[in-house]
Amino acid sequence: MKYLTANRYALGLATALGIALAAGSASAQECTTKIGAVLPTSVDWGKPIAETAQYVVDQVNEAGGAAGCKIEMVLRDSQVDPKVGVDAAKALVDIDGVQVLIGAVSSGVTMPILTSVAVPAGVAEFSCCSSSGAFTKLAEEGKLKGLWFRTFATSNVQAAVGAKVAKDQGYKSVAVLYKNDDWGQDIGKLVAGHLEAQGIKVTSLIAINDGQPSYRAEVTEAISGNPEALYMALYPTEGTSIVRDWLSLGGTQNMIGANSLKSDEFRNNVGMQYLGSFRGTDTSSPRVASADAFVAQYKEHFGKEPNGPGLANSYDATMIALLAMEAAGKDAKGADIAAAVARVTDPSGEPVTADKDGFAKAKEILAGGGNVLYQGATGNVRFDANGDVSAPAVVWTFTEEGTKEDSYITLEEVGELTAK
Amino acid sequence: MIQHLIDGILIGAILSLGATGLTMVMHMLRFANFSHAELLSIGAYSALVFEQLFKAVLPFTAGTIGPLSMTWALAVAMIASMAVTGASAVLFDKLIFKRVREKGEELSMVFASFGLALIIRNVIGLVFGLQTQLFSKDIIFATVLSRDPLIMVKPDQIAVLAITLLIIFALHLILSRTTYGYALRAVAENPSLAQVNGINLQRMIVTVWLIGGGLAALAGVFYGLTNQISPVIGRDLVLPVFAATIVGGLGSIYGALLGGFIVGIAANLALTVLPSGYSPSVPFLIILAVLLVRPHGLFGEERQ
Repeated sequence: MKYLTANRYALGLATALGIALAAGSASAQECTTKIGAVLPTSVDWGKPIAETAQYVVDQVNEAGGAAGCKIEMVLRDSQVDPKVGVDAAKALVDIDGVQVLIGAVSSGVTMPILTSVAVPAGVAEFSCCSSSGAFTKLAEEGKLKGLWFRTFATSNVQAAVGAKVAKDQGYKSVAVLYKNDDWGQDIGKLVAGHLEAQGIKVTSLIAINDGQPSYRAEVTEAISGNPEALYMALYPTEGTSIVRDWLSLGGTQNMIGANSLKSDEFRNNVGMQYLGSFRGTDTSSPRVASADAFVAQYKEHFGKEPNGPGLANSYDATMIALLAMEAAGKDAKGADIAAAVARVTDPSGEPVTADKDGFAKAKEILAGGGNVLYQGATGNVRFDANGDVSAPAVVWTFTEEGTKEDSYITLEEVGELTAK
Repeated sequence: MIQHLIDGILIGAILSLGATGLTMVMHMLRFANFSHAELLSIGAYSALVFEQLFKAVLPFTAGTIGPLSMTWALAVAMIASMAVTGASAVLFDKLIFKRVREKGEELSMVFASFGLALIIRNVIGLVFGLQTQLFSKDIIFATVLSRDPLIMVKPDQIAVLAITLLIIFALHLILSRTTYGYALRAVAENPSLAQVNGINLQRMIVTVWLIGGGLAALAGVFYGLTNQISPVIGRDLVLPVFAATIVGGLGSIYGALLGGFIVGIAANLALTVLPSGYSPSVPFLIILAVLLVRPHGLFGEERQ
C-alpha cells in the first residue's frame, strides 16, 4: 500500500511538472515506460532498498522522465526466495513487458532470475547487492550476453588489496588459507592470483574445513613451504585455532586477514602480543563528495541516515539503469540499454551528479551525442567487462581496544590493483 | 611426512580416550551413543570452571607445570572434572537411557542419544556463550626435535600422549586382572547370565558410565589444551570418535586406542595425498575399508 501511495504522489508530482514543462518538451509525459524491480520488500532490510530505488524513479520523473517517457517502477517482492523471485521476474518480463530489471538482493535469488528470465528474454538486469563470484564466472564465459550489472563490489577488491598489503610489506612468499565455502574458495583463489601477479610466491593454497578436530596437518603443510607471511580468508573460530598452532610451530607473525577476522574473539584468543604485524583488509564506502551528497539528500528525503545495507548501491543501480535507458533512446530493448551503460559511466565523459539536476544535465549531454560520467552514491561507478564494480578499501590493524584504520585505498587505486 | 605422523599420533591420543569410553558403553549397553562426544564438552567446561575456582581459592596453584601450558590448578581441576562428568553420565543414564532401555528398543536409545546431545550442546552454549575459550591464552612454542626433516612437538602434546597411554594401560590391567574387570566383561557378554552369577547389573552400568564419562572428560580437557574450547566440541569430535571406535572394534579398549591413532594419523597424512578440502572424508573411508575387511572391527569379536 505504501508504494501505491508513493507512486500516486509521484504521479501527481510528475503530472504537475509535466504541465509545467509541457512548453519545453511537448513529446514527454504522454507515455509511460515500465521497469521491473524484484526486491525483498517483506524483510526489514529489503524495504529501504526498494524505497531508495523508487526515490530514484521519482527524481528522474521530476526531471522529465527517461527516453521521452515517464518511468513507472513495478515492484514485486522476492521474499528472499529464488522460486518467488523467478515468478516475479517472469511476470514483470512477460506481462509488464519490462526491458530493465532492478534486483535482486541475495545472489541465490539473483542468479536464477538472471539465467532463467533476464538473459533468455534479453532484459538488462541491474543488481544493488549480489556479491557472488559466480556471476563474474558466468560473464567471463559469455553466458550473460553483457546484460548483467551490479553496483556491489565483489571479493576481488579485498583479494587485490590483500596482495597489495603483502607487496607493501615486502613479503616475498605467502601461504594462503581459505575457508572451504563459496566465499572462501572465491577469495582464496583470487588472492593467490593477485599475489602471483605482484610477483609474490604462493607457497601453498589450503582449504580449511569448519569444525575439524585439529588443524595441525593444514598448519604443518602451510609452514613447510617456509612462507614469509600468512594470508587468511577465515572465520574467527578456525582462524584462532590455526594462528595459535601456526605461532606455536614457529610460524611468522606476518599475517594478512580478510574482513571476516575483524573480531574481538580472534584478537583476544590469539593475543595482541602476536598481532602487531597483522594487517586486515575490508571494503569501504567511498570518501568522495558525491557519496556525501547522497547521504545529505537521502537524509533530507527520508528523514534518517542511509544506514541499512545496499542503499547507496540501490540508488546507483537504479540511476544507472535509467541513465542507460535515456542514452539508448525510446523503445530500446534490454541489449541496447545494457550497451548504453558504457555511455553513462564513461571516465572521459562529462561528470553528472547523482540527483534530479544531474539527470536533467545528462539528458542534454546525451541528446547532443556526448557521453557522461555518473558520479554516484558509491563514487564514480565503473563497470568492468563482466558488469562488476570496484569499491574503495581500507587496511586495518588490531589495537588493544579493537581495530583501527591503517590506510584508505581510493577507488582509483583499487581499480588499478584489480586490473592487474 | 614424519611431522604429519607425529601430529596424527598426538591428536589420535585424544580420540583414543573418547573412543575407549564409547566402546565400553556401546559394548555393555548395546547402543550407539551419539551423546558421548558431548561428555567431552562437559569435561572441558567443568575443568575450565574448576580451574578458575582453584586459582582463586589456592593462588599458589596458578603456576604452570614445567614446560607445559597446564597449571597445577588445571591438573587438580581435571580430576574434579572427571568426577563431575562421570556423575553427569550416570545422571543422564538414570534420567533418560534407563527409562528408554526399559520400554523401547535399541533404535529408540540411539534417537534418545541424538536428542540428549543437542540438549547438552545448547545448554552449554546458553550458559557459557558460543564464543571459543582457552585454558591459557599463552602460546607455548613447539620444541624442535629435528631440523632436517623438520619435526616439532609441543610439550603439552607429549604429556597428553603419555597420560593417555598410562590410563589405557591401567584400564587394561583392571579389566583383565581384577574380579571387577571380569564382572564388567561378563555383563557385556551376557547380562542375564552375569546376574544369575550374582553380579549387580545396576552397579556395573554405573561403573561403565563413570569410566566412560571420566575418560571423556580427560579427552575434553586435552582437546581444550591443544586446541580450543567451544560448545561444539561434541559436534566436531563425534564422528572421529565413532570412527575410532568402529575401526577398533566394539568392546576392545586396545582396539579403541589403535582406532584413535589410525583415524588421527590417516586424517593428518591425507593432506599429503588429497586436497585439503577432502580431509573430513578420511575417517569415513577408513570405516568403510575396515568394515569391508573385518566387519567387527580390528579387535572386535563376533557376537549374536
